Amino acid sequence: MANREWQMIHSPLPIRHSPDILMQLAVNITVLASIYALIACGYVLVYRVSRVLNLAHGELMMLGAYMLLLTASQFSSHWAGAIAAAVGLSLLTGVLVYLFLMRKMTGEMVLAAVLTTVALGILLRGAIVLIWSAQQQYPAQRLEITNFALVLPGGARISLCAALLVATTALVYGSLLAFLRFGRWGVRMRAAGQSPLLAAQRGINLHAIYALAWGLSTLTGALAGMLIALDSGLDQTMAIIGLKAFPAALVGGLDSLIGALVGALIVAAAEVLLIHYVDPLLSEVVPFLVLIAMLVVRPWGLFGTREELDRV
Amino acid sequence: MLRKLAAAAVAAIVCLGPASAQDAYTIGLTGALTGPPASTYAPAVEALRIYLERVNAAGGINGKKVNLILQDDSAEPGKSTANAKKLIAQDGVILLINASLSSTYAPVVAEAKRAGVPLLFASGVCPKDVYPPADPLQFCTTAYAANYDSRATLAFIKETAKAPVKIGFSAMAIPLSRAEMDFAEQQAPGLGMTVVDKEIIPPPTPDYTPFATKLKDAGANWVFSWAPWVTQVRTLEALRRLGWEGDYIAWSHLEAEGELARLKDGKFYVIGANALFQDELPIHKEIADAAKKAGVQYPPQQMAEGWIAGMVIEAALKATGWPASAAKLAAAMGSLKVDTRGLRGGPIEWTKDNHFRTRQYYRVYRWDTGKGAIVRVKDWTAFDVK
Repeated sequence: MANREWQMIHSPLPIRHSPDILMQLAVNITVLASIYALIACGYVLVYRVSRVLNLAHGELMMLGAYMLLLTASQFSSHWAGAIAAAVGLSLLTGVLVYLFLMRKMTGEMVLAAVLTTVALGILLRGAIVLIWSAQQQYPAQRLEITNFALVLPGGARISLCAALLVATTALVYGSLLAFLRFGRWGVRMRAAGQSPLLAAQRGINLHAIYALAWGLSTLTGALAGMLIALDSGLDQTMAIIGLKAFPAALVGGLDSLIGALVGALIVAAAEVLLIHYVDPLLSEVVPFLVLIAMLVVRPWGLFGTREELDRV
Repeated sequence: MLRKLAAAAVAAIVCLGPASAQDAYTIGLTGALTGPPASTYAPAVEALRIYLERVNAAGGINGKKVNLILQDDSAEPGKSTANAKKLIAQDGVILLINASLSSTYAPVVAEAKRAGVPLLFASGVCPKDVYPPADPLQFCTTAYAANYDSRATLAFIKETAKAPVKIGFSAMAIPLSRAEMDFAEQQAPGLGMTVVDKEIIPPPTPDYTPFATKLKDAGANWVFSWAPWVTQVRTLEALRRLGWEGDYIAWSHLEAEGELARLKDGKFYVIGANALFQDELPIHKEIADAAKKAGVQYPPQQMAEGWIAGMVIEAALKATGWPASAAKLAAAMGSLKVDTRGLRGGPIEWTKDNHFRTRQYYRVYRWDTGKGAIVRVKDWTAFDVK
């Protein structure tokens, strides 16, 4: 190949800083951060209450998205009804997972509980293929939702489902923070997380608290799964997307909701900016590079509780 | 569903019986029936299973039934090794079939070579060992072909483009897809195109918009993607949501026909080696009827690849005769010509040195917004495989 051609191929692209592209990058960061934050809060809810790392969270998220597919066939043209039914089913699934599986792990080593979640994940992946097959699914098409693009000030664009995802994340975090701060059951959840023994001695039903935490965790994960599926489709890879949000939770601190939000923003910003200005391949390793940097500097995360993680 | 699974399990147990194996052509498949990339492979395997069931129902080949043993490897090399060992040592297959990711190839090839059993790649990408000079034991029926696909695609873009081409590429971060886009990136300037960007997108990605933003910002007026379907289509959708109005061309995987109809995008082209069902050939009706009768989960449009593999296996076993052995089958496969009845642009012809095909044919389709239907943009174009 001629030398000039080689140069044409391999010369680095000029870096652009037009207002349009900066606005678009800001939107991209917001959307990706919302995805990670919505998934990460599920990890935090279960960990904060029971100190169990739920490694089946990605699969439960995927199951939630497939439940939307199920309800979509029942409520074909009533998208709100289909989503509400799928959300309800997801909440129920989380509670059932606790009652019929994780409850047996109460009092056992935390490692045993974590391994149980790994087994649950494998089981769910297999079951989903058997029930819904391996092919690509589009819940938005079944619900007759048109995922059009919204034009924002500055010329940036965001799809309708991505905008809904950002709004949902804000709503979920606002509601959860208020619930944990002011709600009776929220205060009980915090108490159970801080000292299960004292909480039990004060008459708090720990099993009910844990079941609620699993239900809420599955619900938030499922919401993320449903909105991602509505935006870009649904297949078997969604479970792995669940794992990609894990570094965000760890960076922020595994027992802090605010931490999950900040961690998601840091990871998403690093990912989007490196894709645009350096190399798209870095997006795969960046979350873990950020995580390693955080583990070196502050192992308990930005907003995590130091004493708990020191013991780990 | 449970009844079907139970029936399949019973059928498998019956088929695995030693008496049955001695009186039938026993062949085995390791494939990604589950796992993240299963959507690309499972429909083809299902089609192959239905095809051979039909052959058996019609009296078999040379008066003998074909006993197909399916093993799931979830696209994991470890599982594919175990499957290949089991199929060869325990089941005594005379033909091994791989329908999985390229990462599973090396261990399966090693097992097949050790046992002297021919290995057919069906629905997974054809490895370089099937091109001239071919490995005596490796064969391939899959439609897509590294390098040839990029040559055909770039030739089509050059022929179609009305303005100077500023081209961007989109690949999945897996070796094969990256290598193909690297190849296309090197070829494009020679055809007068300006390469403006190449995005290597990791699997899986929760949001394709950051990658699409870069392609759009680079000023591409054409984008070519040769990757698993998920990467191809999600990059396109992200580009469209950003307001990009350029032309997009992608490889016509099994999902292509359904997806063209879903997206209804007049500037989205798919290039491939299989005729789409919109051509309404008699064999398309035959496949659709068989799929309906068998009650499969996948649309018939995704079954051409497996059907072609079935046609080739039938022809190879017929040429092998009875009693069959792995060596006799390998010899028969080394000189084979199979009429694909329009599913491809020409026959699949294997020679001693060429186990891919002597000519590779391409067709291009897109959605016609005026007609509200898929239309053929360019008819079969042949490339000699040397």
